[in-house]
Amino acid sequence: MKLDPRTKLFLAVVANGMIFTAPLVYSLLMVVVTSILLLLEGKWKFVCTFFFVYLGAAFFFDLAKNLDIGTSGTIVLASLFLMYRIMPACAVLYYVITTTKVNEFLACMSRMRISNKVTIPLIVMIRFFPTVFDESRAIGNAMRMRGIRLFSLRTLKSPVAFLEYRLVPLLVSITKIGDELSIAAVTRGLSAETKRTCVATIGFRWVDFVVWAYCIAVVVMFLLRN
Amino acid sequence: MRTTGKKSSNTLVRDLVNVGIFGALYLVLSGLGASIGFIPAFIVVSTCMVSLVTSVPLFLFFSKVERPLLCCILLCLLFGVVMIISGHGISFGLLCVVYGVLAGLCLNLFHKNFIGCLLANVMISFVPSSMMIPLWSSTEEYLAYCSSVCDSAYIAHLAELSSSYWPLIGLFGFGAAGAVVGGFIARRVMKKHFERIGLAQ
Repeated sequence: MKLDPRTKLFLAVVANGMIFTAPLVYSLLMVVVTSILLLLEGKWKFVCTFFFVYLGAAFFFDLAKNLDIGTSGTIVLASLFLMYRIMPACAVLYYVITTTKVNEFLACMSRMRISNKVTIPLIVMIRFFPTVFDESRAIGNAMRMRGIRLFSLRTLKSPVAFLEYRLVPLLVSITKIGDELSIAAVTRGLSAETKRTCVATIGFRWVDFVVWAYCIAVVVMFLLRN
Repeated sequence: MRTTGKKSSNTLVRDLVNVGIFGALYLVLSGLGASIGFIPAFIVVSTCMVSLVTSVPLFLFFSKVERPLLCCILLCLLFGVVMIISGHGISFGLLCVVYGVLAGLCLNLFHKNFIGCLLANVMISFVPSSMMIPLWSSTEEYLAYCSSVCDSAYIAHLAELSSSYWPLIGLFGFGAAGAVVGGFIARRVMKKHFERIGLAQ
């Protein structure tokens, strides 16, 4: 089922707002709609894993919340909280990122009369998070093969050197990726000062209206309760 | 040499792509650096850690962009927007823009030399420091929000911090100190690695 990118953005904004500011029940309401949309996209494996981890984190957080667990416990508790509070937001972002093509997003932003100066960094940043993690993981593996680990005597002796070993290859790698991305963007005419056209058809359909109505209903419910 | 409008719009796209890339990296690294703040004793010095970790990427970013003012504003704005979405107030977003403008002006004023980069780094280091301002401006709400995340000892420590303004000054001071030290480390790293292979001037 194909949603308009503007509907996806609205869903992301409302879901994040509810997840971070409203009580848990509103967060769950947003989780439900996102899960249904993900299932309709055929991502049932992601939905199953998400629910398993999410409910597990919520259960253990609830269990450990009232215990006096000290500093190390605070770190575990905060990690569990982040998991069960941030995971719904990640699920929404996963849905938006994996189902929206760059050209559709650009066309939709240009229809909303948002400048390229905001759109391009935003889209590059959203698309770049997985790349940063992938590159970091690959560099971590390479360093581990050379005996450079976070928890080792060598790192304790010279933490700056460890930072250099991990950060410099990452920066070199992503700078090169960035240069290639800029060249690709210029080649595709992103720097042209004329109005861009888009092959993909974007527009509102009945599904979009259903999602908009659902989101507005959740927001109204929250505002009336407060 | 005659320059054309086409060339300038090409460099604009390159700058915007760099803002996106370094914005993503800045968010990830500042999150990692700030995680030290989960230990109550390190809350105040966590900003120093963030500044230290993000200095090298920021120096590389400053050396790569051709429109420092625009790029610094956009970088801080992106950070602000992400933080607003994750529950911080609009006022934090506005503060981010102010820091971005100041950082850009520092770079423009000193023509991207070391002093300019260092001052811009210090200005951007104030962005993560400002995230804890609500602990002093609206203490009750902030503590109520934190009580759902942390244990009672951590909340008690936060309440103790909020009773005086010195920790707030410490947050900004440690952030700035970390940015200065990080700046000197970044200059060495830039010379040793990036300038040698032509990734930075």
